[in-house]
Amino acid sequence: MTDQSQKPLILIIDDEEVLRDGCRQVLERCGYSVLTAEQGIEGIKLAHEHEPALALVDLKMPNVSGMEIVEILSHDIPDIILIMITGYASIVSAVEAMQKGAHDYLPKPFNPDQLRVLVKRGLDHRTLRIEARKLKEEKDQMEKNFITFVSHEMRSPLVVIRQYIEALNAIARNSFDKEVREIIERCRKRIQSLEEMVEHWLDISRIDNGTLAQQKVSLRLSSIIARGVEEITPICRKRGISLATNIPKKLPDIIGDEESLVRVFTNIIGNATKYTPEGGKIIIIVKNDEYYTTTSISDTGIGIPRDKLPFIFEPFFRCSGQDEKTRGSGLGLTFCKKIMEAHNGGIEVSSREGEGTTFVLTFPAPINTARKATGVSS
Amino acid sequence: MKIKKKILLIDDDKDFLFATKLILEKGGYEIFMAEDGKTGVEMWKSISPDLAIIDMMMETWGEGFSVLSKIRATDTGKDTPLFMLSAVDLQGPYNAFEPPPEFPKVNKVLQKPIKAGELLQLVAQELGGK
Repeated sequence: MTDQSQKPLILIIDDEEVLRDGCRQVLERCGYSVLTAEQGIEGIKLAHEHEPALALVDLKMPNVSGMEIVEILSHDIPDIILIMITGYASIVSAVEAMQKGAHDYLPKPFNPDQLRVLVKRGLDHRTLRIEARKLKEEKDQMEKNFITFVSHEMRSPLVVIRQYIEALNAIARNSFDKEVREIIERCRKRIQSLEEMVEHWLDISRIDNGTLAQQKVSLRLSSIIARGVEEITPICRKRGISLATNIPKKLPDIIGDEESLVRVFTNIIGNATKYTPEGGKIIIIVKNDEYYTTTSISDTGIGIPRDKLPFIFEPFFRCSGQDEKTRGSGLGLTFCKKIMEAHNGGIEVSSREGEGTTFVLTFPAPINTARKATGVSS
Repeated sequence: MKIKKKILLIDDDKDFLFATKLILEKGGYEIFMAEDGKTGVEMWKSISPDLAIIDMMMETWGEGFSVLSKIRATDTGKDTPLFMLSAVDLQGPYNAFEPPPEFPKVNKVLQKPIKAGELLQLVAQELGGK
């Protein structure tokens, strides 16, 4: 292996003895280690054994041509810099060599200064390339580890605090005053919402790095909506809000990740319940045409001010006037939007203050199904 | 006096061990704690508990699985109830742990944090009351 702290190793493959020796002298005087080979096969063998940092290769040699050597070495030797020595410095042969992986070329005749400059430039290029690759690898690894790290390091303390609160209540709840109990309960709730925030934030990071919503299978939209509705129904009942659905019997399947889509619906329907006063209504209507399946979720709630509408999908955006009870992680709608986008779908909102809000979720119809459907009907 | 049933807790988070210990002691159990898998298995052999609760993710992910397998392989561990604690962390957000079919029996998989009442109830179910 070539080590950066050691002298860089240079291999010269040329059938002209005078040229080999000349180059060797110049390069050794510059502080490089030099190996030489008279012809291709020997040169390739030496390169495999010693993995030089740079090789000077004569383009025109008997048996194995310089062009072939370039191809082999650029493939086999990691980070090698290849410089062609060419007697007929035509652009054509130079370009071909560069296409095959050569870094540069040196037209004959050349003087020692030209050789020194070219070799130094080649080695500098190599150092930069190696550094850039290492940095990129480090960055990729960091990004990957980050989610894992956050997931564990940030959640563990929160989990432990909640466990302590559980323990506190278990061992001493009955001896606490009402006030103390209330304080503990408030702490518990705040910790829980912090935990949820971490959770949502992690979900969004997972979408961004492509590790969420990857399992895309054929799904029935009606059963996804049913799961969302099922989850929210108890809350509606408790708050005296009616929840109705209007879904066509025949709907094309959608392609997606079931769990994350259920969460999108739970989120949107759940939001509707938060901002709809008692006695209000939530209606879910699904429609479809050849190209899209759209689901609108409308409520008769307080609505969203017109000037706030464009921002509601932004992370941590909150409409003012939200009290503690309705306050979520500030990431719910961001999550929904990202999930919908990951499904090539969309989410839109319209609202009138004091009248209600409607969210519209759009899924594209699967292309094959749509074609089949038109094929059958025509 | 009635002999207290023994429960072994294996988790690398000291605070989690302590909090869980407090809850279980309230239920009238005698609690032993191990902060790593190796100690956990050794303690299992020396004290023969009536139940063990093992964290799935300790120093390395899956450490809990190997600890559970080792305990199941002991004479006293064949039929003893073993609970596993799952932190959803590395498995993606939705995939709660499900033991593979050939995996030794896990009596219950619990999510951290565990509600005190729920924990005591589940333990009581397995140990047939205090």
